[in-house]
Amino acid sequence: MNKIKILFNQTLMISTAILFGVGIQMLICHFFKNDDMLTWPWYVPLSIVLAGFLCSLPTVLLIYDAEVAGKRMMVRIAIHFVLVGAIVSLCGYLFKWYETLDEYLPILIMYVVIYLFVWAATGWLTKSDEKRINAAIEDIRDQE
Amino acid sequence: MRVEVNPVDSYDQERAEIYVVKVTQDIQSAIDTLDNNCRVISVFDKEKTLICRTDKIYYFESIDKRTYVYTKDECFETKYRLYELEELLNQFFLRSSKAMIVNIRKIKSVKAEFNGRMTAELLNGENIVIARSYVKDLKERLGI
Repeated sequence: MNKIKILFNQTLMISTAILFGVGIQMLICHFFKNDDMLTWPWYVPLSIVLAGFLCSLPTVLLIYDAEVAGKRMMVRIAIHFVLVGAIVSLCGYLFKWYETLDEYLPILIMYVVIYLFVWAATGWLTKSDEKRINAAIEDIRDQE
Repeated sequence: MRVEVNPVDSYDQERAEIYVVKVTQDIQSAIDTLDNNCRVISVFDKEKTLICRTDKIYYFESIDKRTYVYTKDECFETKYRLYELEELLNQFFLRSSKAMIVNIRKIKSVKAEFNGRMTAELLNGENIVIARSYVKDLKERLGI
């Protein structure tokens, strides 16, 4: 049940991140290319959710509840980065998010930026939790 | 020593007053017990059965259906299962993983990891893992 909850949350988070990326892309188009229209075929919104779900699978399988730490964890994160990138590229190819290399490059850059942003945000939240827990523990810690 | 016990209606009204000529080791032990909500549990050391104060316990670990009790520098065995200990012990004892219960008051510091779990350094220098699913419980117990 817990893993289903994580899959659901991850799917929502990644789908939102993809929409956010598209939003930023359109903002750039609006200000620098005077391109104000975005037209999508009927299946694109659903393909974003499907991509979100597929991208959440490596996260659940490789990162969450992993009983490894240090270098082995870094290797897992590297594999995760490549796998998720491959899933995004494959979904993009199958659902025609891009057709040429010029259209593929912004998607790839968007992926790297979102990936780094999510890790940075997660790291920041985790470190802030760590600080609060350590401060609270200090108040009740036994003297030995 | 004369001991009087007067029943009260609520836990808020509970209090203990001790009138003594001198605070002996036994009296101090009673004060510690009342003050820290400290209890004792029976443990085994080879063939001997001993009484171990819970405020001396660092953590409990279940290995191959046996439960081990770890103090600062000793290890004993107990008949209790972890789920029984969870009911028996006070709020400072936290289930940190499927096979472990840790005394929060013996944690020196915690360090967050990428996968959401935390590594806790204990006052005796040992490191234990707090699984991601139990971090939320730790925060609640610390009032965060």
